[in-house]
Amino acid sequence: MINVSTLTKHYGDRVAVDDLTFDVAPGRVTGFVGPNGAGKSTTMRMMVGLTRPDRGDVRYDGVSYARLRRPARVVGSVLDPRSMHPGRTARNHLLAAAALSDIPARRVGEVLGEVGLESAADQRTGGFSLGMRQRLALAGALLGEPQVLLLDEPSNGLDPDGIRWLRNSLSGFAARGGTVFVSSHLIAELAMFAHDLVVVGGGRLIAAEPIDATLARGDSAVVVRTVHTDELARLLDRRGITVEVEADRLVARDTTSAAVSAIAFEHRLQVIDVTERTQSLEEILIDLTGASAEFAAA
Amino acid sequence: MLTATTPIATHVPHQHHGANAMTLTTVHPAPRLSRDRAHDLATLPSAVRSEWIKLRTLRSTPAVLGLTVAIGLLLSWTIATFVKTDPDTNEVFTVAQAFIFSTWLTTVLAIVMGTLLYTSEVQHGTLAGAVSAQPARWVLVAAKAVVGAGLGLVMGVIGMASGLAGAVLGGLGAGDTSGMAATAAWGLMLVTLAPVFGLGVGLVIRHSAAAASTVLVWALVVENLIKGFGPAKVTRFLPFSAATGLLGIKSAGDSAKTMAVALGRLQDGLLFSGYTLAAVAIGTVSMYRRETN
Repeated sequence: MINVSTLTKHYGDRVAVDDLTFDVAPGRVTGFVGPNGAGKSTTMRMMVGLTRPDRGDVRYDGVSYARLRRPARVVGSVLDPRSMHPGRTARNHLLAAAALSDIPARRVGEVLGEVGLESAADQRTGGFSLGMRQRLALAGALLGEPQVLLLDEPSNGLDPDGIRWLRNSLSGFAARGGTVFVSSHLIAELAMFAHDLVVVGGGRLIAAEPIDATLARGDSAVVVRTVHTDELARLLDRRGITVEVEADRLVARDTTSAAVSAIAFEHRLQVIDVTERTQSLEEILIDLTGASAEFAAA
Repeated sequence: MLTATTPIATHVPHQHHGANAMTLTTVHPAPRLSRDRAHDLATLPSAVRSEWIKLRTLRSTPAVLGLTVAIGLLLSWTIATFVKTDPDTNEVFTVAQAFIFSTWLTTVLAIVMGTLLYTSEVQHGTLAGAVSAQPARWVLVAAKAVVGAGLGLVMGVIGMASGLAGAVLGGLGAGDTSGMAATAAWGLMLVTLAPVFGLGVGLVIRHSAAAASTVLVWALVVENLIKGFGPAKVTRFLPFSAATGLLGIKSAGDSAKTMAVALGRLQDGLLFSGYTLAAVAIGTVSMYRRETN
């Protein structure tokens, strides 16, 4: 269990992370989402002791990161997949990391196999693609057989096959009892395997809940195309259904397509089509974080 | 849960049937005891091993050792073949004098290598991984200092051996060899400390090119200028004055006036050690205070 408690960080007058409190449960994949500048990377850096919080702390089963013995054996993290010396081979990169945490050298071969980099083990990382670097960085995170994985945008640079591999791997890791905390801008991808979401905006916590609860926040509506918009709108309104008219369409809320179709049929009104429109997770998150987005397209 | 009494997972054997069929490592509970100073100290050998792997797995390390040999050989051979006599005294150089000349350049090179021990980690982003794996940052600095000192010692030995070989190949006579052992010992002390001094400079400056150029400009230009204009009783305390004093040689900025008030080798040794200690101490404090990128 990770407990993030009242985490706060200022850079000058700017509040990067503001009183952030949430828990990350074991056995689950928790997505960490928010727009650019929301404080995700700063939070993750504070979670692994790279940035000192002004206030608050992060505990792993009650022990703060800075007090952990051999932290790499408890928490495996990937915050920047480019963090490797271009002149060093993948194997030597991992051997140095393993030695630092007193991890047996045999683990290097094992993790290279786990991430599918065995064939590139003795190549210098300077020639690696971003996807290969992601895999190598993940191998580094796994060296100490940690219980927790903290990953910042791990699917950046991965091809579709790599993204599927990552999804399956992280799901499997969580299924075996591990804690996975992963930030991503690929919301649709995250929706496929995350159990919980922590949503931040402007450095503040917006939501920390199961992903189903976030999906339930979404707006749903029935969209009807008909040549009798005004008449059908009146009929729906009379039944207490909220209706908006948009050109040749009606948008009805708090109802179902079956109910709308039945009313139209009952009054012999021609309907061209009836569709149910639900918000995607991405749309819901944009709505949730919209006001706090630091950077947005005009 | 991470507690030892509640295992969080059952073991799932790894499957190696292509990338998509692989599973990530099974999660094992780990000891949760909090670290303390004694634990940090006990992790120093691991950190030294890690730094040694980093150093020996880069192509630049053998290249620098090769450069040290080349400098030693070429400088001594050039002096023996073309310069031949001391321009101040007109005495013919001997092997006993010339073998140490290149060690000054070896020292500068060793300082630059010391700066890179830290700055290259900042430059390539690998410092973040090291700091998150070892929250006791002083352990990382100490490990780098140990490995840097080892590198300096090796550079000193091969640099002097090459200097000796170059002087012999250039045809110099042996001369009075009674002081050679002492000169070599002080020289080795200097080159051993040099990367540690450089590490301190790197910890403060953090940028590879900036740190290396600062060392080079200071050693080759600034300190000689200060010696030219400053009072000799003050300039004898400059770091590279101590270095030349330890080697028993004169630098470009030295004059009869500066040589007359030069410190003894023991004092120079203590002075350079003090600079080294101060640089590393200031650098370590700044490493704790600054964010790790």
